[in-house]
Amino acid sequence: MSDDQLDPRLREAAQAYNAPPETPRDELWARIQAVRSGAPVEAAAPQQAAPRVLPFRPRRAWFAAAAAAAAVLAIGIGIGRVSVEPETARLRGPSANPTTYRLAAQEHLSQSETFLTLFRTSLEERNNQRLASASARQLLATNRLLLDSPAASDPKIRLLLEDLELVLAEIAQLSPRSRAEDLQLIRDGIERGNVMPRLRTAVPPGTAPIQGVL
Amino acid sequence: MCRSLTPHAPEPVSDAELIDRVLAGDPSAERALYDAHVDRVYRLVYRMAGDLDRAQDWVQETFIRAFQKLGEFRGESALSTWLCSIAMSVSLNGLRKVKRFRERELALDDAPPMGYTPREADPDLKSRLAQAIDDLPEGYRAVFVMHDVEGFTHEEIGQALGVQPGTSKAQLFRARAKLRQALADFVKD
Repeated sequence: MSDDQLDPRLREAAQAYNAPPETPRDELWARIQAVRSGAPVEAAAPQQAAPRVLPFRPRRAWFAAAAAAAAVLAIGIGIGRVSVEPETARLRGPSANPTTYRLAAQEHLSQSETFLTLFRTSLEERNNQRLASASARQLLATNRLLLDSPAASDPKIRLLLEDLELVLAEIAQLSPRSRAEDLQLIRDGIERGNVMPRLRTAVPPGTAPIQGVL
Repeated sequence: MCRSLTPHAPEPVSDAELIDRVLAGDPSAERALYDAHVDRVYRLVYRMAGDLDRAQDWVQETFIRAFQKLGEFRGESALSTWLCSIAMSVSLNGLRKVKRFRERELALDDAPPMGYTPREADPDLKSRLAQAIDDLPEGYRAVFVMHDVEGFTHEEIGQALGVQPGTSKAQLFRARAKLRQALADFVKD
């Protein structure tokens, strides 16, 4: 085998790497149109193929997501307080540094998006539900803080936080005894409320350029 | 160029014409543009995501962004390459988030012993190769998937990832070397 070519067996085997199923054209188009028009999205059709999921244990990640969101908000509020002169802060209250709250909200929405993505891909693992519930409660607490903060002065963000609150509250009530229907209802709620695309739209793409990856 | 599939199209319509019609507000042109490119985008994103939900989310985001920014498309590359560049940006951003959580998780768990390979005992070549590809640094994996799996040229990869074609070649060379190293026992057999 030469240095710059793959063994033919490897090259052939590589074609099976994450082999994509047939494109769900109509379903995807309906979702895209729904997001662009701001309309609710129908619940996703049952999966046509069993995908190979990347090796990722989401249970601790849920905790990490919730803890990170809470930490960021706390830091954000802290920075907001110390970066405002005391007299001004007393006069203007928490609205003194809206940028800090906006950044905290973006981080929270990003963490929530990751949490919900992991939650959706791990619905089958029933023993994760208690952990999901605990993480959802932490995110819910952060969400409520943000709803009461200047971050919610943007109507779009407020609506998103309100819808997110409903989803997180449903997940927070999960227990190992929850029925499969409960999970499906949550999943449908996420889809119907168009929560995931709205979360992604609300969170600016990563700042690191693609070149940085290479 | 990132090849497009246009099944059942009665007459080929150029991308430039489609873009003009989309920008003029023609909804049928939006669907035509989507139909012309979605297969290629979906294949690429699915290869990167390895997960149905994530792939669908990322393809959806790709086209939403593309329609939002279509007015900024200057035709410096093929439309399909431009779409693939958005798709790769969305995918790599999504993968970075997953990676960050993986790293946090590893910091919490006991580190595996040196040389530990989760699928070491797996005799199946495809499975071992898939694990080895997953283990590649993200940039190497992107180039390997685009070139050796999806058939992009280095020029296309360069345009999609915003790097020089030479960089793409170098990354592919290193990716292949790592894969050969990881699968040396299979290759020898």
